[in-house]
Amino acid sequence: MKKNKAFLFLLPGLVFLFLFMIIPIVLIIRSTFSDQGQISFNGYMEFFKNKYFIQILINTLKVSLLTTLLCIVISLPVAYYIAKLHGRIKSVLIGLSVFPLLTSAIVRSFSWMIILGKKGLLNELLLNLHLIKEPLNLLYTPTSMIIGLVHLFLPLMIISLVGVMENISDDLVQAAESLGASRFVAFRKIIFPLCVPGLIIGSILVFVGSLTAYTTPALLGGKEQVISVYLYQNAMTLNDWHTASSVATIMVAVTFTIVGLMNLAANKLNSRG
Amino acid sequence: MKKLSVIVSAVLVAMLALSGCSSSNKSGKGPTELVVSTWGFDQDFFNKEIYAPFEKENHVKIVVESGNNADRLNKIRQGNSKVDIMYLSDYFAQQAIDEGLFEKIGSSKLTHLKELYPIAQAPLGKSYGPAYTISRLGIVYNTKSVKTPINSWKDLWKPELKGKLTLPNITSTSGPMLVDIASSHSGNTFNEDHAFNNLNELNKKVVKYYNQTSEFVNMFSQGEAAAGPMMEMYFGDIKKAEPAAKFVVPSEGAYAIQNTVNLVKGTKHKALAEKFMNWVISKEAQERSAKAKIDSPTNQTVKLTNAQASGLTYGSDAIQSLKKMDMAFVNKNLKSWTNRWNQEIH
Repeated sequence: MKKNKAFLFLLPGLVFLFLFMIIPIVLIIRSTFSDQGQISFNGYMEFFKNKYFIQILINTLKVSLLTTLLCIVISLPVAYYIAKLHGRIKSVLIGLSVFPLLTSAIVRSFSWMIILGKKGLLNELLLNLHLIKEPLNLLYTPTSMIIGLVHLFLPLMIISLVGVMENISDDLVQAAESLGASRFVAFRKIIFPLCVPGLIIGSILVFVGSLTAYTTPALLGGKEQVISVYLYQNAMTLNDWHTASSVATIMVAVTFTIVGLMNLAANKLNSRG
Repeated sequence: MKKLSVIVSAVLVAMLALSGCSSSNKSGKGPTELVVSTWGFDQDFFNKEIYAPFEKENHVKIVVESGNNADRLNKIRQGNSKVDIMYLSDYFAQQAIDEGLFEKIGSSKLTHLKELYPIAQAPLGKSYGPAYTISRLGIVYNTKSVKTPINSWKDLWKPELKGKLTLPNITSTSGPMLVDIASSHSGNTFNEDHAFNNLNELNKKVVKYYNQTSEFVNMFSQGEAAAGPMMEMYFGDIKKAEPAAKFVVPSEGAYAIQNTVNLVKGTKHKALAEKFMNWVISKEAQERSAKAKIDSPTNQTVKLTNAQASGLTYGSDAIQSLKKMDMAFVNKNLKSWTNRWNQEIH
């Protein structure tokens, strides 16, 4: 009986989420299926016939996937290194890797503008080293958008990976090595599969974050729009809440699909869960 | 299960009670509150030179709500806002008027109205607020990286500007003017198809479409962009960031952009708010803003020396030569222009 009452502690949080998150989301989604009081899918049919919309949806997915992949590639060695450390140096390194999350997106984007601009640090450096003759065109391209997003979301991936890697016993690697596996094989066959849960959590956080990010793409991106900027344009400057709600619903659907696919992949990679 | 529902209802009741009482204890005898919704630029200047004298004289307290045009307009669209007076650029003010969000004003109360330039007296119709400042959209370019002088809107199409051009986004205040500029490139009567063909041609030269002035300033200071249409009122910031920048009034004429003051429908302080509007367009207030180089005056009785007027849109010659877009026409077409823009320009 007592155990049954423990869930009451969840109530305040649940009530809050229900009132301020679930209800608004349901209202938004429901409004997109009605056209003058009748149920209709016309809004969505229009969307998927619209080449421009498909284009920005693909752009957004491309940018988010690339960001996620880059985060994985960069985080794996960093997290492995941090997880092996102990004591103060470890907390210092974790603190440093979380640092990007502590500065505002606007400040971060502006610092990238200063680095990547035609008169920016990077171009000045390359020009002075005579590696290039003309300044590179980096800012306001998908490249600068991805750089900004990787910088923003890397901490999430590192933290998730450090979490799982800490729990991988050194004995396993030693056992593998004593049985003749090289370091790399041990990493690939033992460490990596055990990391998959952290990898999946990190990837979901990074992917969903990049899919919905607004400030960074708006400031660092160029002519190619992403979906969140398109949503903002419809909601705030055109006051077309119907279109904006439909875009929001599509974003929710895309997110769930991708998260589902990632879970499926996780089960394949690590069949023991 | 019974207990659960008791707790749920207790939480709900408590929340309702809390939200209910926050607004009910405001009937003290303090000064009347007048809520002004504005951009929030140069807040210190406005507090000291514009709001404070009015507060003192009328025993009111001015409360400022700030934000950009679109955000603030959306707030009053959602209803139950407490805003009495709204500063908006003409383009957004027209949207508010079309949607019935503004109160009609008694123009007889605005004794300074007849001192304004005719263009500023009733930019959106006789029943609505005046323009307290005016600016113009011309071309700003970097004289270091653009060698041949720019002096016409047509120069935007010059091959030299490839990879150096920045244009306003369609959804920004000057976006519709860009459509008009593009149409005029092929003839004097407005033609939407010509406009979009010409914009598409321009698109190849564009680095980025800017949504905010600050983005334009950034692109100039970082050397990303070297030319683009821009409002004169922000030229000071650009000049600071890039000393070689130059503002030109194109030979076809610059476009007028007016900022208006209006009353929000449902204001409980109409008489007071009209008094405030009258103060904002008075010679004294306008002179203060002009001398601080904050806003160009629309009151003709304000006289400035050449030094005081530099950087401002000042004088009857400058103001009478401005092109004015029909905001009602723009608002009617904006949705379809935005769609075409999104579909065709990339």
